[in-house]
Amino acid sequence: MNRREFLSKSSTIAGAGLVLGAPSVLGAAGSANDKINVALIGMGKQGRVLFEAMSNIPGIHFQAVCDIWDYNLNSGAGKVRALQKHMPNRYTDIDELLEKEKGLDVAIVATPDFWHSPHTVKCLDAGLHVYCEKMMSNTIDGARAMVHAMERNKKLCQIGHQRRSNPRYRYTLDHLINNNKICGTIVNINGQWNRAVSSSQDIQYKKSLAIDPARLKQYGFKDMHQFMNWRFYRDLSGGPISDLGAHQIDVFNWFLGCQPKSVFASGGNDFFKTREHFDNVMAIFEYDSAQGPVRAFYQVLTTTSSGGGFYESFMGTEGTIKTSEMASGSAIYRESSAPLWDDLVKRGYLRKKAAPAPAKKSDGIASYASAAPEEFAIPGVLNKQPHQNHLENFFAAVRGEAKLNCDARHAFESEAPIFWVNPSALQKEPIIFTPEQLQV
Amino acid sequence: MKPTIPFLVLGAASLFALSSCNKESSSETTTSGSGGPGIGTPGGVELVTELPKEVIEGSPAPKNIPNLAPKPKKFPTFLVPEGTVLLSKGKKVTCSDDYPIMGSPELVTDGEKEAGEGYFFEILDGLQWVQIDLEKSQPIHALLLWHFHGQPRVYHDVIVQVSDDPEFKTGVTTLFNNDYDNSSKLGKGTDRPYIESHFGHLINGKGTKARYVRCHSNGNTSNGENHYIEVEVYGTPE
Repeated sequence: MNRREFLSKSSTIAGAGLVLGAPSVLGAAGSANDKINVALIGMGKQGRVLFEAMSNIPGIHFQAVCDIWDYNLNSGAGKVRALQKHMPNRYTDIDELLEKEKGLDVAIVATPDFWHSPHTVKCLDAGLHVYCEKMMSNTIDGARAMVHAMERNKKLCQIGHQRRSNPRYRYTLDHLINNNKICGTIVNINGQWNRAVSSSQDIQYKKSLAIDPARLKQYGFKDMHQFMNWRFYRDLSGGPISDLGAHQIDVFNWFLGCQPKSVFASGGNDFFKTREHFDNVMAIFEYDSAQGPVRAFYQVLTTTSSGGGFYESFMGTEGTIKTSEMASGSAIYRESSAPLWDDLVKRGYLRKKAAPAPAKKSDGIASYASAAPEEFAIPGVLNKQPHQNHLENFFAAVRGEAKLNCDARHAFESEAPIFWVNPSALQKEPIIFTPEQLQV
Repeated sequence: MKPTIPFLVLGAASLFALSSCNKESSSETTTSGSGGPGIGTPGGVELVTELPKEVIEGSPAPKNIPNLAPKPKKFPTFLVPEGTVLLSKGKKVTCSDDYPIMGSPELVTDGEKEAGEGYFFEILDGLQWVQIDLEKSQPIHALLLWHFHGQPRVYHDVIVQVSDDPEFKTGVTTLFNNDYDNSSKLGKGTDRPYIESHFGHLINGKGTKARYVRCHSNGNTSNGENHYIEVEVYGTPE
């Protein structure tokens, strides 16, 4: 069965993403049978990824597509046509779209970071609910404006920190860390996103498809290189710590339930000499969490894939939980001195994996080593694309059936410390946060 | 149905059993499948092509494809008869989708193999094909396929057939088939699924004489659609 057949035969397929909390009073559509009319703002790579995830969610009608690049616009419209068998309305300018389109409920914003805030605010002011990709903005004031617009218009605004709706992450936080406290006291966090040089190259495009220079200038781009590679430019994005690190530093703050009190960062153009943003950044955040002090280290490297890709590791006195969007990157380790987890395994909370490696024969080094921890895993698997649960949560909230897992205010509180990583690295000084630096 | 998303878990035991030796093929076709392209033509010259730059985005390759071939570390050494040339450059391409989603069919033979925006051609999900008309029947010694190498994904049911019949109803020879469970109903294949890379994927043409080349696929491990950046067909003109 292909996707077209799947969709036509499965109008009642449940949106099986997490549905949490009390129903919202802001619902635009009354029931799952009502179509939610969607405008897709930005149909580049990420816009297409989100569309792919949404194509598995029933009850969505893609009414309009907007992108300044004809290639993206036609590609996005082609994908919509393939899915719903008729062309959506096409626009190169969001103002024209908002003026002409009637009956829209939702905008999905996947434009470059420096356009997130203007586009999200426009859509909220036009009365639409918005799902906007992370980071919220390339500036903290841009992010603040999004929170104000959401609250001023009393509309929903979900930010695309998709791990917040990932069942593996939610299970880890709710059941393993909070309810069963298997980490004991979390003292340290370690996280990273290491990306190989081959994965960090300039994004290429076919030169014959270039956008007219006047149109590029109209929308804030100096040239096609900037348009394709806006992540390298300081006026357009926050660079790798924002582009990649935001996913994981958000998890630090979400899991600890608080903001850090300081950041001390180091970065440099160690390999990609001509890029405006640092290609490698390392940052240390200090927290005063409810359970005590926590020190968190995060690194984003765009020069090597060594070290195991991307993950967050919550290290406690009794156990460590390593989380990742990839199941293969997730693991749970029990300290040898911690109480046994046999009961948790018996009750199905954990699955025991390999036995610890046998201790080496005593020698001058091994005699100082800790005993190898037992390894466990979370039972069950995920069978959805990474963004689908988060989008399902958003559309459930639009229908009044759920609360957002990451509304703009909570996203801001989590993202605010990230805006200060590059300044710390540039100044080569720690930043002790003031309320004004972290609050809306 | 094969997986279309990375997290889907297969019933691994039963699927792995299929990887051993399946020699079935459609009754209307002859099959020359094998574990790999082999060395080509003994005494021949080495096949050379211009490789695109390696640019990788996205997650590591899925591990849940049975009998998956290791990701190549270099372009294979493969011998073709002296006088072998690229037959497909600029030749007409048709496809099974009347309304391609992205790009246009001529991208398949335009000689540009990069993985960036605008270089690839995307058609619908499900079993789809692109077909190259070589304009006359000629011996084919090698084919190179680049579906989409910007991500380490695997395309399902890669089946390459050649024929002198543009409808592929008669005289069909299957040069490559990794449809291990016959989900595409063109006969089970014994070739191995593989991870896309900038090296492309080399298929032995074995000197089969044909005018038309038809390449099938059935979605991939990242999404349901079918993509082609380039197909190169090498042979000796007659």
